[in-house]
Amino acid sequence: MPELQGDSVSGRTFDAIVIGSGMSGGWAAKEFTEKGLKTLVLERGRDVKHNVDYPTTNMFPYEFDHLGEIPLDEKKANPIINRCYAFKEDAAHFFVKDAEHPYIQDKPFDWIRGYQVGGKSLMWARATQRWSNFDFKGPARDGFAVDWPIRYKDIAPWYSHVEKFAGISGNKDGLRELPDGEFLPPFPLNAVEDYFKKHVSDKYPNRYVINERVAHLTKPEPIHLEQGRAKCQTRLLCQRGCPFGGYFSSNSSTLPWAARTGNLTLRPFSVVHSVIYDEQKGKATGVRVIDSNTKEMIEYFAKVIFVNAGALNSNLLLLNSTSHRFPNGLGNDNGIMGKFVAFHNYSARISARFDGLKQFKEVGRTVGGGYMPRFRNIFKQETDFLRGYACGFSAYRSRDSDSSGVGVSLKERLLHPELEKLGQWGVGSHMMGETIPKETNTVSLDTSKKMLGECLC
Amino acid sequence: MRRRTAIRDMIIFAGGATLLPSCLTRSEKVSIPLKKLKITVAQEKLLAEIASTIIPQTDTPGAKEVGAHLFALKMLDDCYEKTDQEKFLIGLAQLDDNAAKRFGDSFLDCNGKQRQELLESIEQNKDVSELAHFYEIMKDRTIEGYMNSKYVMTNLVIYELIPSMPYNGYAPA
Repeated sequence: MPELQGDSVSGRTFDAIVIGSGMSGGWAAKEFTEKGLKTLVLERGRDVKHNVDYPTTNMFPYEFDHLGEIPLDEKKANPIINRCYAFKEDAAHFFVKDAEHPYIQDKPFDWIRGYQVGGKSLMWARATQRWSNFDFKGPARDGFAVDWPIRYKDIAPWYSHVEKFAGISGNKDGLRELPDGEFLPPFPLNAVEDYFKKHVSDKYPNRYVINERVAHLTKPEPIHLEQGRAKCQTRLLCQRGCPFGGYFSSNSSTLPWAARTGNLTLRPFSVVHSVIYDEQKGKATGVRVIDSNTKEMIEYFAKVIFVNAGALNSNLLLLNSTSHRFPNGLGNDNGIMGKFVAFHNYSARISARFDGLKQFKEVGRTVGGGYMPRFRNIFKQETDFLRGYACGFSAYRSRDSDSSGVGVSLKERLLHPELEKLGQWGVGSHMMGETIPKETNTVSLDTSKKMLGECLC
Repeated sequence: MRRRTAIRDMIIFAGGATLLPSCLTRSEKVSIPLKKLKITVAQEKLLAEIASTIIPQTDTPGAKEVGAHLFALKMLDDCYEKTDQEKFLIGLAQLDDNAAKRFGDSFLDCNGKQRQELLESIEQNKDVSELAHFYEIMKDRTIEGYMNSKYVMTNLVIYELIPSMPYNGYAPA
């Protein structure tokens, strides 16, 4: 990787600048560098090198001070981040603590962030389903929000391009509402998940339970081995960073790939303040970066500037990029920037017990589980709400653990879980839906407060 | 290399040196650093014996031997509200009072059978007292600390970072 050179403008000029090194920044870096563009990737947080900077990845439970639990004081100091399921002792170092980059909430909003190289691609939930034409045509059909400028056929080849490289496991299910992709073998379903799958399709003609498609290497192809990644070992410790590169992250995949081209310059500790707009040329020509260690402001230049700072920070960065031509933020002539914020709603959950198939139990660990593609309002508007939601579905065999009493008998029971009586199967589902963009959902800069010269929001 | 050995020896020696005065003065210092809780050596000893009664040493170490009571203390110190910590200590004292009422001896002076009987009676007598609160935290955390101890996870109920068995969702029950 070339070192940043001196202070000359030419030393600070690249073919492309990518702002952010998370999921999309990593991809941008890969695509640009592969095509021969000298690319500067700017990341506001610290570097996290694959395998080098995963401090907890091979730790046993007893090596954590609190067996993974976040101490009470830390929970109280971080009410927002503490609501994320992955914020535990083993991955806490990958999450932005509430006080690190505070924001004002007019209404409660959990902004879960990972300010480091790789961003949240390290701790994401790894479910990767395609959108279908029903999704792309939603606004055109119900008139709510703005019609998508593209349709499924426009994006399908790009889905394939990404899937082949990232490695997605799944089945070809042949469903119009959830198009098939380039899949590695799926993780298997268990007895009760298969049972549920069969009964749902018997009883409801347009509802399907399929194997969830996830970004894990179940059977690596040469392209994955070439990245230095290996088969997913189902450790289920993904949020720590995977030493096998068993799941897709920028750190294990796109960024090292980009680095190998020799065209990548990765600059951590670089908070992008604004995009530079050249009034004479009528073009964005570079970015202003604040080095979070030296607090110094440095300008970098490129023909291509790609803002990959996550949905909210990308909006905020453009709002902060003011010029004579764009007094309300770069490209914000219509005043829409920062408005119509939509979110992926995934908070609804249900669980139940299933009293059957007791001849089976589970052995080992698995990543996948079942997934029900959206089944509402697909072919016609049939409910009093717009669009639809998808559901995760999984089942597990419970154990009737008996930890009553004390003494030798308790000890024997604890040490021989294989003799425990099995309980019923438990089933659980969580729903995730599209939130429809509304103008009143906004994010804006709070110009009265600054941190590192950057406005808070 | 020699320098490294010298440093190591120095650390061992320094450690010994800091240990020595505390032994001589019998200062009330518990085995692990605590941030909020004030625990006496006597209380620590009592907790160790309660842990030992919950999961005793047999041909393998019990909860006391793997330090599960110290884990319980650490969790109490770091992961509980002040009111829980206060109730815990009141409950601990009540346990010793109960032993005196029931057997005429402090818990430490009771024999193994009496200790077990006392804990089981507390467990069965589910109420909202500090004693019940203490017992619930102590028992849960002792079991947790024991099952997740290095000894148990590497010798008895093996924890695998990488599962050795492939997943089977149709394994015979």
